[in-house]
Amino acid sequence: MVNARPRRVRTTRRSVKIAERIAQTLISIGGIGTIVAVSLIMVFLVWVVAPLVGGATTGPEARVSFPEQPGSLRAAESLESRERPLAGECVDAQVDEYRLLAWSVYTDGTFVVRRLDRGDELVRRALVPDGDPSGTSAIGAPSAIGVDVERGALGLGFADGSVRLGTVDFTAELLSGEGAARFEALAPGARETDGARVVERSEDGVLRAQTCRVAIGEPLDTGTTSAVVLIDQLETDAGRTLATWHADDSLALYRVVERENLMTGEITRKLESGRVSFARPDGFTPCRLLVSSGGSSTYLLSRDGRAARFDTRDPSAPALAELVDLLPETDAELTTARFLLGRTTLLVGDRRGGLGAYFVVKPDGATTRDGAHLVLAHELGREDEARGGSPAVVALATSQRTRLVAVAYADGAIHVFNVTSGKDLGELRVDGDIAALALAPKDDALIAFGAHGAHGAHGAHGASVWSFDPQHSEVTFAALFRPVWYEGYGGPEHVWQSSSGTDDFEPKLGLVPLVFGTLKATFYSLLFGVPIAILAALFSSEFLAPKVRVPIKSTVEIMAGLPSVVLGFLAAVIFAPFVQDVVPAVLASFATLPLALLAGAYAWQLLPQRLAVRLSDWRRFACIVAMLPVGVALAAWLGPHVESWLFAGDVKLWLSGERGSPFGGWMLLFTPLAALAVAISGSQFVTPWLRARSFGWGRAACARADLGRFAFNVLATFALAAALSGACAALGFDARGSFVDTFVQRNALVVGFVMGFAIIPIIYTIAEDALTSVPSHLRLASLAAGATPWQTAVHVILPTAASGLFSAVMVGLGRAVGETMIVLMATGNTPVMDWNMFSGFRTLSANIATELPEAVKNSTHYRTLFLAALLLFALTFAVNTAAEIVRQRFRRRAYQL
Amino acid sequence: MIRARSETLRSEVVRKSVKPSPSIGGGSTSGQASHERPTRKVFDAVSEKRTFEAELHPALLTEEMVLEVDGFSLFYGAAQALWEISMGIPKGKVTALIGPSGCGKSTLLRSVNRMNDLIDTVRISGTMRLNGDAIYAPGVDVIELRKRIGMVFQKPNPFPMSIFENVIYSLRIDGERKKSVLEEVCEASLRGAGLWEEVKDRLHDSALRLSGGQQQRLCIARAIAAEPEVLLLDEPCSALDPIATGRIEDLIEELKGSYSILMVTHNMQQASRTSDYTAFMYLGRLVEYGPTEELFVQPRLSETEDYVTGRFG
Repeated sequence: MVNARPRRVRTTRRSVKIAERIAQTLISIGGIGTIVAVSLIMVFLVWVVAPLVGGATTGPEARVSFPEQPGSLRAAESLESRERPLAGECVDAQVDEYRLLAWSVYTDGTFVVRRLDRGDELVRRALVPDGDPSGTSAIGAPSAIGVDVERGALGLGFADGSVRLGTVDFTAELLSGEGAARFEALAPGARETDGARVVERSEDGVLRAQTCRVAIGEPLDTGTTSAVVLIDQLETDAGRTLATWHADDSLALYRVVERENLMTGEITRKLESGRVSFARPDGFTPCRLLVSSGGSSTYLLSRDGRAARFDTRDPSAPALAELVDLLPETDAELTTARFLLGRTTLLVGDRRGGLGAYFVVKPDGATTRDGAHLVLAHELGREDEARGGSPAVVALATSQRTRLVAVAYADGAIHVFNVTSGKDLGELRVDGDIAALALAPKDDALIAFGAHGAHGAHGAHGASVWSFDPQHSEVTFAALFRPVWYEGYGGPEHVWQSSSGTDDFEPKLGLVPLVFGTLKATFYSLLFGVPIAILAALFSSEFLAPKVRVPIKSTVEIMAGLPSVVLGFLAAVIFAPFVQDVVPAVLASFATLPLALLAGAYAWQLLPQRLAVRLSDWRRFACIVAMLPVGVALAAWLGPHVESWLFAGDVKLWLSGERGSPFGGWMLLFTPLAALAVAISGSQFVTPWLRARSFGWGRAACARADLGRFAFNVLATFALAAALSGACAALGFDARGSFVDTFVQRNALVVGFVMGFAIIPIIYTIAEDALTSVPSHLRLASLAAGATPWQTAVHVILPTAASGLFSAVMVGLGRAVGETMIVLMATGNTPVMDWNMFSGFRTLSANIATELPEAVKNSTHYRTLFLAALLLFALTFAVNTAAEIVRQRFRRRAYQL
Repeated sequence: MIRARSETLRSEVVRKSVKPSPSIGGGSTSGQASHERPTRKVFDAVSEKRTFEAELHPALLTEEMVLEVDGFSLFYGAAQALWEISMGIPKGKVTALIGPSGCGKSTLLRSVNRMNDLIDTVRISGTMRLNGDAIYAPGVDVIELRKRIGMVFQKPNPFPMSIFENVIYSLRIDGERKKSVLEEVCEASLRGAGLWEEVKDRLHDSALRLSGGQQQRLCIARAIAAEPEVLLLDEPCSALDPIATGRIEDLIEELKGSYSILMVTHNMQQASRTSDYTAFMYLGRLVEYGPTEELFVQPRLSETEDYVTGRFG
């Protein structure tokens, strides 16, 4: 009986379809999500970095006219005997950090405080009132005024040779309770004058009253009656240093030490003084006196551009250090000069519109008293300066927090430069002459004070105010990637030093040392890792039985999972100190280990054939495992001897260049090269000769000849290396200073070794895959032709897998470039640039890890670190892409076979 | 170097039965009655898991042997792949091994140059002698042995290097550096393989650009460049198209005389066209071995007849 079973209808169940769709969606989301995530990281990096390339932003000009000119100024003009300051009547001016008030000091000793938004005068006084009750002659108009805008310090010199010191400062107080009641109606952002102060309600509703106070001390007797012509003072926490230039051509130095009596609160000032006469050369017309940071140098600038620098490290014994012509052109004329933040870099503006930044450097063999020379480090100029038609520099203002300088030109143009990077942040223009410039304390506004009658609305005296944001003026392409001449350095250099303990620090944002460090780490780790990994891959793919190969491969792959922080820890805490203890033995081991292994292999050939075949399974074990300790022991024994033969008994002192001849270092470098040369020439000439001779010899005779050849090669290697080293040493070349130099505990050798270990697993895995994927029929063809496994590996397997091996190395390189923890812990993180294998370095990645946590968000430093990250991203991306392209090519080629 | 027949490479091999090797000319059971065609004896041997005494034709007696196989067995782990094969390969002749898939003909071929050593689990017993020198004996240097034997594989396998480098590979690894020698050998070998005219202008091009048939002839050229005492061909045409196959067969015809060739083929027409002697194997046993014409036209065993006429296999 046959059941007429209906034909089974095949349909896909609904649940299967749904599962299919869900899986497809999830996989798509996952895949696209990954791509989007990586792209977003890239976009984010670019987004953070992008503002670095932008210029400064400036708000619209706000014009303020000062209703009335200071009446006493007209009288001041009649004082003809006085050296008048260079740029107009206003000596200097400054605004407070909330931009409510501005003070100005005029040449006749008038001090004015104005409301910045309207120009109303709040205070006007003579700094030293007429008829001063103290009864000294230091009254009336001062003959010299020195202002330190940064610290708010004033110095006044008088015609009778006496000086007075003073301070000017802004005080802000927050109003509350009764004091605030009167200003109840004040809207946020609005201001109101209240006597000598200005009250503002800030945007968040706080009432703030801003006052400007000036205080002038008692006259100080300087022990001379010669009129003070120029004065400058330097205020430090220890007191003040005061310099005066007198009409009798003498420079006087005073250090004012202030002591406060704890019982009475009375302050006593004590003067330490010194004096030196200066025989002015012809045409030397002193116009500026400037005391540098720490009082170490005092500059007397002449109108014709010459500068007399006095060594004033000891104020009681000043002396002329050097006379320099800052403006060598014959018709040059110095118009203005000022210190940049930190009082080390001197900015000098001239009649032709040039602005030079000078500072002292201490070159070897300097002839001056203090071993220093004043040099021109940067030239800052307007774009049109090259054409020679640039108007004179009339006023300078320096920032109180960065290395910005605002420059006013005679044609009413104002430029702001960053002195370090030389970046021109753009141009502002006013009609008429500029008497003084000020950069607000937070670098958020730029104020130009006009000269009398020439500037401001209706021809009246006034000022122009711009809100201003310098953005990231420190960064230019050249500042990041080209050598820059930083303050105090002997010349332009690549330096990375992003922060320091002081506020007047010059940030040095050269990325080149970090890129160099990254490359150095990569170089040394590949030097260790690649040969080991590739040879290991070759060994396990070509010589190991498959039974053993699989577990070994997985073990090595597990090694890749070893956290790099553990490796870094081992490197820094255990390996580096160990290497430091046994440097000579480590150096010796580079020679003894290969020698021991090779000697083992040659010695094996001496075994009788029967024994050799019977023990063939133990051959590699005997050659490697047994000879390794021999090599190590040899190195340990040889270490001290090597140290005394080559390195004058102490390798660290030798490396520092303190003792010994250059011979040892050359031996170190030439031995591997000589080994290579001997091996190649040996296989070219000796081996064929030996082969021809040995025809018909017995096995033992061949083995002995081989061993003899090996011994000969070893001797030839050392002889060749010694000959080359001797030649180099005799010619006076010294390897120290290049690849070998001063020993530092955490050095490239240690990092190379440990990071080599970190990259070995990944290189090994990929290389092993590449080697095993070489079709086995090639291997068989070669073996069937009578090739040894090693010949097969070298002649057939390696060339076929070459691109795969290349890709493995590239992936390892990518890993080494991005590796952070090991280099962070084991390199010492000094961003130095040398190839010395015994010194540390700082990599891009370690730099980001160290500095990003302390970088202020959105600061230049922060964005530069992101730029470093972007660079790293680009570097690893390029390397990995190259590896992948080669791998694809390799795969195609492998399919062809 | 003559060694005792019972000597084996590995001590753990235990010979299942020690028996005298069959003498050439056939055993007593089959020598006189070729017309009776005893049937199914091989199948009995297989089902009873024992060796089989091969039917050897007397014509072989007249030949000088380059390779002598004597009581040769081979095990892959526990599985026995060759069952006491005893045969000689005549010098200067082409000998074909035929048989259905899995009969061990390739295994036997690869045993000659000890390529099976590369497999961990292989054990062998019995002896093989190449011109009188034992192949399997302690102290035999496998590398030296393989230099005396040429081999061409099923699939063309030129190395990814130039044609020139491919041909002179065996000289390269022997350290020959003289350019004149290398060029001379290259030309002679390529001429010998009938490839010279086609490639003489592009000797330094990659060998991978050649066609499949050309590549296989290149492999033959590579093998004969080493001047081997015996040339092993492992199904040399199985991966080629009919035209290329024809050219290889012509080539084998031309090489006859100068080289002793042992060839595995599953193509009976090819065996009958190109070989002087043919051995029929079945499931690890040598069944019948004799001059090709006799074996194909007048096989002594019915199994052989069934196979060559296409009734099984």
